[in-house]
Amino acid sequence: MDISQGFITFLRSLLLTMVPFVLAAQGTMLAGRTGVFIVAQEGIMLTSASVGFIVSYKTGSLFYGMLAALLVGGIYGVLIAYMTTTLKMNQFVIGLSFYFVGVGLSTLIPKLVIGVTLTPPLIPTLQDVPIPALRQIPIIGDIFFNHNILVYLSILISMLLYYFLYKTSWGLEMRSVGENPKAADSLGINVSLQRYIAVIIGCMLIGLAGVYLPMVYTGTFTEQMTRGRGWLSSALAFFGGWRPLPIFLGSLFFAGIEVLSYRVQVQSVGIPYQFLLMLPYVATILVMMLTFKRSTTPAFLGKNYDREKRTL
Amino acid sequence: MTSGHEVILQMQEICKRFDTLQALDHVNFELRAREIHGLLGGNGAGKTTLMNVLYGLYREDSGEIFLKGKKIAVNSPKDAIRYGIGMVHQHFLQIGSFPVVQNIVLGTSVKNRFTLNLDYEAGKIKELCQRFSIEVDPFANVNELPMGTRQKVEILKALYRGVDILILDEPTTNLTPQEVDALFQTLKVMVNEGLSIVFITHKLREVMSVCDRITLLRNGQNVTTIDRRAATEEELVRGMVGETMDVSKSVIFSKGASEQINRSLSERVVLEMEKVHCVSEQGIELLKNITLRVHEGEIFGIAGVAGNGQLELAEVIVGIRPISAGEIKVYGKSSSQMISSDLLREGITYIPEDRLEDGYLPKATVAHNLILGAHRQEPYSKKGFINWRKVYEVSKELIKEYNIKTSGPADTAANLSGGNIQRVMIARAFAHAGDSLLVAHNPTRGLDIPSMDFVYHKLLERKRQGYSTLLLSEDLDELLLLCDRLGVMYRGELVGILNRDQFEKYEIGRMMSGVKRNL
Repeated sequence: MDISQGFITFLRSLLLTMVPFVLAAQGTMLAGRTGVFIVAQEGIMLTSASVGFIVSYKTGSLFYGMLAALLVGGIYGVLIAYMTTTLKMNQFVIGLSFYFVGVGLSTLIPKLVIGVTLTPPLIPTLQDVPIPALRQIPIIGDIFFNHNILVYLSILISMLLYYFLYKTSWGLEMRSVGENPKAADSLGINVSLQRYIAVIIGCMLIGLAGVYLPMVYTGTFTEQMTRGRGWLSSALAFFGGWRPLPIFLGSLFFAGIEVLSYRVQVQSVGIPYQFLLMLPYVATILVMMLTFKRSTTPAFLGKNYDREKRTL
Repeated sequence: MTSGHEVILQMQEICKRFDTLQALDHVNFELRAREIHGLLGGNGAGKTTLMNVLYGLYREDSGEIFLKGKKIAVNSPKDAIRYGIGMVHQHFLQIGSFPVVQNIVLGTSVKNRFTLNLDYEAGKIKELCQRFSIEVDPFANVNELPMGTRQKVEILKALYRGVDILILDEPTTNLTPQEVDALFQTLKVMVNEGLSIVFITHKLREVMSVCDRITLLRNGQNVTTIDRRAATEEELVRGMVGETMDVSKSVIFSKGASEQINRSLSERVVLEMEKVHCVSEQGIELLKNITLRVHEGEIFGIAGVAGNGQLELAEVIVGIRPISAGEIKVYGKSSSQMISSDLLREGITYIPEDRLEDGYLPKATVAHNLILGAHRQEPYSKKGFINWRKVYEVSKELIKEYNIKTSGPADTAANLSGGNIQRVMIARAFAHAGDSLLVAHNPTRGLDIPSMDFVYHKLLERKRQGYSTLLLSEDLDELLLLCDRLGVMYRGELVGILNRDQFEKYEIGRMMSGVKRNL
């Protein structure tokens, strides 16, 4: 009984922990499908977490905090899309720059708005929303149907993205932009517009992933609280072959490792937790080595498109 | 064939500039209804640029476009498609991982846009196939199709959008002669169905056999527009090359030049390949059981549709790619232990196919580019130090001999135009070409006609001096013109070797599509 209870708790915390991975990686994937490789996730998540937290703290509403996080993500999206798609600047340089900007802003803003306090300012964490009826099912109800709203949302978004990309003509057009923008352009598809849309929505999802941390885990903002989850979302996108459903499964796997690493820390069972924290990256490298031959990475990932550029 | 008389499209005084290069200089073009209009010219003449302007891929700097008498502005391919203009690009714009039907419907509104069930569209495509007698399976994956079929997909893409005007950019590149015939048939069917076609090509014979009218461009300017029946080949040749070239001495245009050569084979074998296999890291067999001999003074050609192992063949010979089985001998010595710089000293030189990608340093000087690879050898280098005075001296001579347009050896290579960069590459290869074997992969790709002719002269001169060449080319005419013997590659295999007296286009075409011939 004790063991099964522990298992239920483990699965429950798996779903709880996967959310930032799912949101950030799906956002990365969506933008990547049009050829824009976002690498500033860590910075975007931190700024969104910081601003989202402050807005919630000041207004007393977690909902406004989420909106603020989406807005911050959206602003990053507009800037990244403008610089890569319109100005055609190097995507990685831009991404890294925004990472540093994001880290800086995330600590600067609380200092300006709240100042230095002795006790950290706190917000209430997101409440669980049990789903009526389903919640009553034994075990299953405990594991799946008593979570905060963002857990449900991240599952829903994964499914929607799959449906959108593979089952609608708009999804087909979006995918074509990342595979061969010149072909897409020659068929009258607006490459820039597609990239703007995907990057903005993608960054908004990343922003939501960021604000999840203060709203669910800590109730406050702390420096560098993302702890590499943003970087992991790039790895996760490759891990899942830039496809929504495998990325979702990969998020569960990455979340599992995170949950285990906490347990190991608490119970000190001999495996250094640093080793566990390294595992997602090792797993990503292994997956990429194994799937190297039939990589499903968008062919134009990371490359800007210039219609009039002549290739001799 | 009857062609309509009313003009449906006019392009007037079109200008387009790329940095320092005036690609189009007040060009005029006129298309009549239901005609096949040949747009003829050498490389760099501006044919493709002009049509890219019409298709909205490039914005013209000045000039006007009229469709059925009404002025139109084409700002993007989307506009072009709306005006009923379609274009089949030389390098197909397809998404290899998508099936044919998705490639075709992409960017159009489909019936089941919320399920992406494309059966209805596939049905429409099948109807089009029937109407224009084209054969394509709508659900095949594009990257598994042969070149000829991929081109049909491109044509279907335009037809599906209901275009009235179809532009084809060098559509016969990479097609076997049989596929070319089939394409010409399709063009005639399309004209009968009411389409008007612009046919971009640098091949005279093609415009003469299929076009109704011909517009000739050179250096971004109009030369002439004439009715095919009124045109003579000689006149078109003069128009294409201009006054600077002596046509009577050209290898391309005067039949005699390549025929008067002694074609008998020497006994000495320079290169010997015995059952050579090459397997890629991914486990794909790139070369299968290749056996061939290149004799002294021989030009040995390799024909085949691009991507059938030609690149790998060249690379194993020059030692950049390891072989998995078999043996390669140079003058009887096994070369398997040699690396490419040893082979260079053995007198093997390589002109890579993608010269801009693999062979050229944009930020370095012209002189630097000209001696790259030979820089370790005398007289350029002694005990590891480069003798720059000697390098500059030689570079100046090469610039003159190869007619490279540059301010001098110290000029940065990136300042040169595409054609002149090609000349630098050609000059380097020939100036240091080894006395044993030159491996030349598509050496005339991207060259204008006089430069092309220059390369042909150089190749034949090597032959007269008793040096050998392995010529890998996509241009069948080039191979037929120059080679003593010809091997045809298909999927990494040598499907047959023909002697010059056995050269026959259609036979070679059959071999290019995989039909074996007893060696």
